Amino acid sequence: MKLPAAFRTSKGLLGTALVLVILLIAVFAPMVIPVDWTTKMDMRARLSPPTWAHPLGTDQLGRDLMYRVLLGARTSIVIASSAVLMSIVIGLPLGLISGYAGRTTDNVLMRLVDTLLAFPALLLALTISAVLGPNLQNTIIAIGIAFTPFLARIIRGEALRVAQMPYVEAARTAGNSDLRLILRHILPNIMPAVIVQSTISLAFAILAEAGLSFLGLGTQPPDASWGLMIQASRDYLDRAPWTALVPGAAVALTVLGLNMFGDALRDALDPRSKGAS
Amino acid sequence: MSYILNRILSMLLTLFLISAITFAVTNILPGDVAMMIMGTQSNPEALAGLRESLGLNDPLLVQYGRWIGGMLTGDWGTSLVFKEPIAPLLLQKMTASGLIVLFSMSIALICAVPLGVWAAVHPNRWQDTASSSAALLGVSLPDFFWGIMMILLFARALHWLPSSGFVDPGEDLLLAFRHALLPSLALGLGLMAHLTRMTRATMTGILNQEFIRVARAKGLGERTVVWRYGLANAVGPVMTVAGLQVGYLFGSIIVIESLFNYTGMGWLTYQALLNRDIPLIQASVFVIAAVVMLANLIVDLLYVLVDPRIRLS
Amino acid sequence: MLDDVKPLVSIDNLRVEFQGEDGPIVGVEDVSFSIAPGETVCVVGESGSGKSVTSLSLMRLVEFGGGKITGGKLEFASAGGVIDVAHADDDTMRAIRGNEIGMIFQEPMTSLNPVFTVERQMTDGLRMHLGLSAEAASARALELLKQVRIPEPERRLKQYPHELSGGMRQRVVIAMAMACEPRLLIADEPTTALDVTIQAEILSLINRLKRETGMAVLFITHDMAVVAQVADRVVVMCRGNLVEEGAVEEIFENPKQDYTRALLAAVPRLGEMRGKPAPEPMRLIGDDAAAPAPVLPDKPEPLLEVSNLTTRYPVKGGLFRRTVANVHAVEDVSFTINKGETLALVGESGCGKSSCGRSILRLSEPTSGAVQLDKRDIIGLGERDLRRAWRDMQMVFQDPFASLNPYMRLRDQVAEPLRNFDLARGSEVEDRVAGLFDRVHLPRSFMSRFPHELSGGQRQRVAIARALAVRPKLIIADEAVSALDVSVQAQVLNLMMELQAELGISFLFISHDMAVVERVSHRVGVMYRGRLVEIGTRAQVFENAQHSYTKSLMSAVPIADPTRRTIGEEMNFRPIPSPLFPLGHEPDPSEYTEVAPGHLVLKNTVS
Repeated sequence: MKLPAAFRTSKGLLGTALVLVILLIAVFAPMVIPVDWTTKMDMRARLSPPTWAHPLGTDQLGRDLMYRVLLGARTSIVIASSAVLMSIVIGLPLGLISGYAGRTTDNVLMRLVDTLLAFPALLLALTISAVLGPNLQNTIIAIGIAFTPFLARIIRGEALRVAQMPYVEAARTAGNSDLRLILRHILPNIMPAVIVQSTISLAFAILAEAGLSFLGLGTQPPDASWGLMIQASRDYLDRAPWTALVPGAAVALTVLGLNMFGDALRDALDPRSKGAS
Repeated sequence: MSYILNRILSMLLTLFLISAITFAVTNILPGDVAMMIMGTQSNPEALAGLRESLGLNDPLLVQYGRWIGGMLTGDWGTSLVFKEPIAPLLLQKMTASGLIVLFSMSIALICAVPLGVWAAVHPNRWQDTASSSAALLGVSLPDFFWGIMMILLFARALHWLPSSGFVDPGEDLLLAFRHALLPSLALGLGLMAHLTRMTRATMTGILNQEFIRVARAKGLGERTVVWRYGLANAVGPVMTVAGLQVGYLFGSIIVIESLFNYTGMGWLTYQALLNRDIPLIQASVFVIAAVVMLANLIVDLLYVLVDPRIRLS
Repeated sequence: MLDDVKPLVSIDNLRVEFQGEDGPIVGVEDVSFSIAPGETVCVVGESGSGKSVTSLSLMRLVEFGGGKITGGKLEFASAGGVIDVAHADDDTMRAIRGNEIGMIFQEPMTSLNPVFTVERQMTDGLRMHLGLSAEAASARALELLKQVRIPEPERRLKQYPHELSGGMRQRVVIAMAMACEPRLLIADEPTTALDVTIQAEILSLINRLKRETGMAVLFITHDMAVVAQVADRVVVMCRGNLVEEGAVEEIFENPKQDYTRALLAAVPRLGEMRGKPAPEPMRLIGDDAAAPAPVLPDKPEPLLEVSNLTTRYPVKGGLFRRTVANVHAVEDVSFTINKGETLALVGESGCGKSSCGRSILRLSEPTSGAVQLDKRDIIGLGERDLRRAWRDMQMVFQDPFASLNPYMRLRDQVAEPLRNFDLARGSEVEDRVAGLFDRVHLPRSFMSRFPHELSGGQRQRVAIARALAVRPKLIIADEAVSALDVSVQAQVLNLMMELQAELGISFLFISHDMAVVERVSHRVGVMYRGRLVEIGTRAQVFENAQHSYTKSLMSAVPIADPTRRTIGEEMNFRPIPSPLFPLGHEPDPSEYTEVAPGHLVLKNTVS
């Protein structure tokens, strides 16, 4: 199967490669790296810069940064994906109903969604997390709820666009019930937009988790996450900047990879590239 | 005209909904104001008495009404953490945040728009690749990462700028500016990256339209075609995107202001959330959402000025 | 043409390439022709022929679209001598564009900058090329607007493009192109997106300007009828190559190349159905034996009866988004379609013909009136019953690209109605679908394909197959062939007539193309501003039009015969007013005069 043109660019290849690498690390690192390698405190080598023994340096408790950062991948990816999944589970039916049901329902639902959009997503996530009590599960819920309005709006827009296409009208006259119309005709045609948007949301979710944990309202110790690692490094910025740079670079590479992949995905699924005339 | 009136009516409805949502979310908190004031170890009877006197046993709807009524008459409650009336606190902190939000938005727009246009004019050549890659990197790095970089570079290494604190511009403009610069840059870089990408996408779309071809067919030079004909059409959409980003900025200030110890709205909200200062949480969240909504309303109204199709329909 | 008159434009072995995903794509392979001063050369071809690319190369605008001139010469006799445009530098080209060569494009709705006034857009070219001051440029702009006969020219100058209609915008674009009195006007499909009457006005305008200024015209089009009306010489292109060229009468009467002959055979000519009682398939090159022609049953039996159909759409605005006005899309329309018969609804944009078709199927809900299919009321049906009613009537839509689900295999899309209406089960479904593909002359291998793998004409056949699946009694074809190339269009029309002959299906054929309508219809209804202004047999309406609108419509249609030129220099039609009315406006019911049996003419004044 030939790779779509959009992925044969350097951006597409690099993005896909990064995403795959991070995914592999997230899945396999905790299986391969014994947990105590990340919690072992080598007090003599506290805050040491990169050396052969510790290729990415150590933190203030002498823990090896490389292993911690590799392990943290799973936490961050799990949180981000669960949050995005949650926002799709809530947002998809919401957007579909809004786009398809009729003007009154649409108006009411979108009024609600627009109001929620006035709250900055990070603020919403922080507030929910503070209200529920910060821990891993609640971080997922907080980010998931905060991202739902944006996704719902995009899905509703796509549903509206697709519902007006002649093939949907043709499908109606072909005897399809409303449910079949939505499942067989509308849903498959909004999926490309949903997939692209999910990829971008995933990137934002990782940033959001990092931000929440950095502020202490996200994941809590002993769960290791990149945001927590950056937060822990705050007091040691002068002496040991790598304690912040290492997890920061991990976040940056993951988000960068996702953004590049998402861009290539968007180009590949662009309807203009379909329909050779 | 009716477009403006419609938008204002819509805004009032949304404000009302914002207050309702804010109230609902913050009142799910277990534990309440009384416990905050007296502490968790206090005498249950005294706690009950305080609850009664604070009206915490009333139905939620009544409490909500009381809160709204208070806001409308200027009484926004008292902060449990700061032990001060909330309204003047909000005003002061909002000014501080307003400063860096406006500052960062200006920096971002001034740099992003020309860069985005430049990239769109040279599609897929080195200008485009370079600026798009830089922009991609910019949106991928978290704001606080930029903040940390700024601190490490400008404050610690070069000692050019202070890394924390806030100074009221009323007192000392230059010093206020110096304190605001790094936070604004930290906010502005990510924003600039995003706006560059948006501007490039918008301009590419515009440059593919028929009237651009017609303008070239008239013999107009490329400069005129791009920077007058093209850009004039990009102002509206870019403005809309920038308006939407104000919301994102007000989220980011929570992290950035904490990082820089810059005592603005974000810092205030964070303190409130950390310490479960319910009256302050309610007030800050409401104000932030209201300001974001207002910013978007202003953008909508400005759009009328920019696009004759809306002005004259 | 005299041999010693030097050509204005001389194109030799032009070759243009584009960058594709997998290497260079040749847009124009080897084209050579010339244009003499003061003559109109029409470059005609179907989509992908390279005709637009050729004209864009002459202006060196093709580079902006990613193309490159990789071979040949483009010589233009400018005021300062002969220039090879292919190798000219930017400054030279800018001095020529909009000055010695003017160009107008296809889409008037997007040809003008939406945020600049008309005045600004017209004067900046003038000031640049001629060095005029602001006042002098404005005065000249006003002059130009008068030259192109735009109504209320002073007012138009200060307006923005969205305040002008499509026809007016095209006039402004022409005025801009004429601003510096060019030697050559390049017109790239300038009337394709316009209504018939406006097309006639613009064509006559170009003719007049050509005579007044002596400029030459390079006219790109796919419409052979337009070519017959305006060309002095014709260049036929196909897939980037020049197929044939010659004087217009030669090409039409004595085409030498097979492609040209096939192209001409596929063009329906207004007037060639005179005297023929029934619709007749077109004689296409390569078609074996005459295709079956529809024959009317001896006793006409009504199938569809539409009575006093009215459809109005609310317009929202003002405070609280109340309804402030109504669009009277269909106003008191009544007609009957008999079994096995084709009724055509013709009219220009906004006349309500599409809304009428959609209202009959209840894809748009009618406001009032009655629709009966085989004596069964359609309007009052609930959702379930309506769905069942669709077993008897189906629609084929205009856009072949948008009427098929991009993510569903073609076999499933055609099978859907069979499954939903329980018309077949199990393996029978597959057989029926295969049979339908055979019926529409598509290979069975296409069944497992997706829409994007097919061409426009092939997709339209799939859409017809889908409509046929339920064995409907009536098919509504809503501009079903308008988006297709001429040769493909002819094939699909023949297919429709074949299906009518074999299966006795009735058609409601909605179209704006009079020549096509003349070919396929038994009866014709003319719509204007929501009303049916005239209805009768095809012969009655085409040969003996009675209503003033029908007459003016007929006079505007270009005839694909260079010996019968009807597009003159001064053609003006009343602008079509919009069917927008204030709330509560109750129009009079439609009243008709019967000028001959079955031939009805509207008495009400409609504008």
